[in-house]
Amino acid sequence: MTSAIGLSGLQKTYPGAPPVRALRNADLAINDNEFFTLLGPSGCGKTTLLRLMAGFEVPTGGKLTLFGEDIAHLPPEKRPINTVFQHYSLFPHMTVLENVAFGLKRLHKSDAEAKQVAQQMLDLVHLADFGDRKPGQLSGGQQQRVALARALAPQPRVLLLDEPLSALDLKLRQSMRAELKRLQRETGITFVFVTHDQEEALAMSDRIAVMSQGEIQQVGDPATIYEFPENRFVAEFIGDADFFEAEVLGGTEYKLSNGALLTGPRTEAAIGSQVTLFFRPEKAELKQSGSGLPGQVSEILYLGNSTDYVVDLAQGGALTVRSENHKDGTALADVGADVVVEIDPAAVRVVTT
Amino acid sequence: MTSLRETLRSHLALIPATATITIFMVLPILIILVYSFLAPGDYGGGKPEFSTNAYQRLLFQRDLFDQMVFDPAYLKIAFRSVWIAVVSVVGCLLLGFPVAYYIACQPEERRNIFLLLITIPFWTNLLVRTYCWILVLRDTGLVNVGLMRMGLIDEPLTLLYTEGAVALGLIYTYVPFMVLPIYASLERMDRRLIEAARDLYSNRWVALRYVVIPLAMPGIIAGAILVFIPALGAFIAPDLLGGGKNLMLGSLVQLQFSSARNWPFGSALAMVIMAMVLMCLFFYARSAKKNGGGIKH
Repeated sequence: MTSAIGLSGLQKTYPGAPPVRALRNADLAINDNEFFTLLGPSGCGKTTLLRLMAGFEVPTGGKLTLFGEDIAHLPPEKRPINTVFQHYSLFPHMTVLENVAFGLKRLHKSDAEAKQVAQQMLDLVHLADFGDRKPGQLSGGQQQRVALARALAPQPRVLLLDEPLSALDLKLRQSMRAELKRLQRETGITFVFVTHDQEEALAMSDRIAVMSQGEIQQVGDPATIYEFPENRFVAEFIGDADFFEAEVLGGTEYKLSNGALLTGPRTEAAIGSQVTLFFRPEKAELKQSGSGLPGQVSEILYLGNSTDYVVDLAQGGALTVRSENHKDGTALADVGADVVVEIDPAAVRVVTT
Repeated sequence: MTSLRETLRSHLALIPATATITIFMVLPILIILVYSFLAPGDYGGGKPEFSTNAYQRLLFQRDLFDQMVFDPAYLKIAFRSVWIAVVSVVGCLLLGFPVAYYIACQPEERRNIFLLLITIPFWTNLLVRTYCWILVLRDTGLVNVGLMRMGLIDEPLTLLYTEGAVALGLIYTYVPFMVLPIYASLERMDRRLIEAARDLYSNRWVALRYVVIPLAMPGIIAGAILVFIPALGAFIAPDLLGGGKNLMLGSLVQLQFSSARNWPFGSALAMVIMAMVLMCLFFYARSAKKNGGGIKH
């Protein structure tokens, strides 16, 4: 099966002293009808990659294909790819309906047809009665949905979304997530979504590519990315993690840098070599007593649905444990309490640095 | 009490502005208005007696038998002036828009240098600059000599003392007035809108047609007004480049105050020019209101 979008060795270097390598040798295959997310911190190259796909930038090397066809040097207007821009970029001098019909008109659809399809698109994003307004008269969330309708109206093969939710407030962002998922399902169009918000990426995507410093670090479905990150950057960027430098003792035993012993997964690393271990803070348990790493609660961060306990370990170092509160709402421990942190060996991962 | 004092204070604050407008705008126009209703004095100026002769002369001429007959001579000059002013506006627009667009696309530091360059011609006297066009356009001028040397023509083209020469001189003089307002509106424009248009199947030209030009429209209209008004009343370029035969309203006014010594007629002409301009502005304002008060961002 040919992929919707294929990159092989795709590069973008901006000239300068020194030259900026915004994208280095990216290889990626985005499947048809997939909700695919490019995730990474700002400056990681995800926006450059999106602009390359849209045609606003020309690659300095490598191949870029759309359903097997090379599109690397096509101008944006020749690509059946549309974009939802971060700042909506609605045409302020046109009505909402004219905005949505813009792409259709440029494809030489008749006025009647363009208008009809545009109206259908407005229905799809629940803005049926807003066609006659100017974009300036709409709220941010409404403008966002107009931008979506405008990009979907010409029925592109691929829809690019450039951090479309970042300008919305939290509640609206959450409802738009469900909305985007629904639109993707209903239209069957491949969505390529760019975001720096890992929560958003995990909630919506079929697959995620995590990017850093112009390189794709890992590609996988959300659960794999979260549970089995391939390197320290991915583990750190997605969710929270407690890291330990450790020495391999053989079998499933590790000796942490503070001298404590920890049981983890089997590793292929040589006995005596140094590795990095990590676990998700919600997978450790805070106990009054028992086996595990003893320590003292030094800080409590209340998060609403859970609480983060920062524990200073008796043997040196600190780690964070995330735990639900008691059912009656009281905390598990107070600051200064002596506790034991129990870590299930199945929750411990070994990563390369 | 306080509100009264507040009102008084705000009125006081308005005095400088009101005084400036009164002294430099309202008063001169009133003086011209008064003069236009006087009889001409023998050595210029006006005799203090009421007369509408100046306005009648715009359309009628006293014939040998002392009858008032219709004479379209001045009407023709008025039409020619409007025509040349319109040509100048179009010329300035065709030249000025690409320049303004180019400057607006430059990085910020470089924009200011370009804007400075645009204003450099203003540092030299307009009369001298217009004279230079004579050197370029006359029979033995740069253009004709150049074309003849290249063997493209055998005898010089008549370039000087034509309406074309006048329009050229006006375009040359007023093109900065077109560039600056268009630049101002393009600079404010969100450049990402062009990308949005390109993304939606528009090539550069289609994006220009449907996005850039509509958004630059306030600047284009402001530029058109700024060029049209002075071009209509200009007299240096028509005098020097148009010769005697291509009289424009501006030169006609100037003539009345100098050699013809008919101040009331000159004043009446000035009032007519002003009325024409005001009418244009009125129609523009009305059409802008119809379109929902222009473009909002």
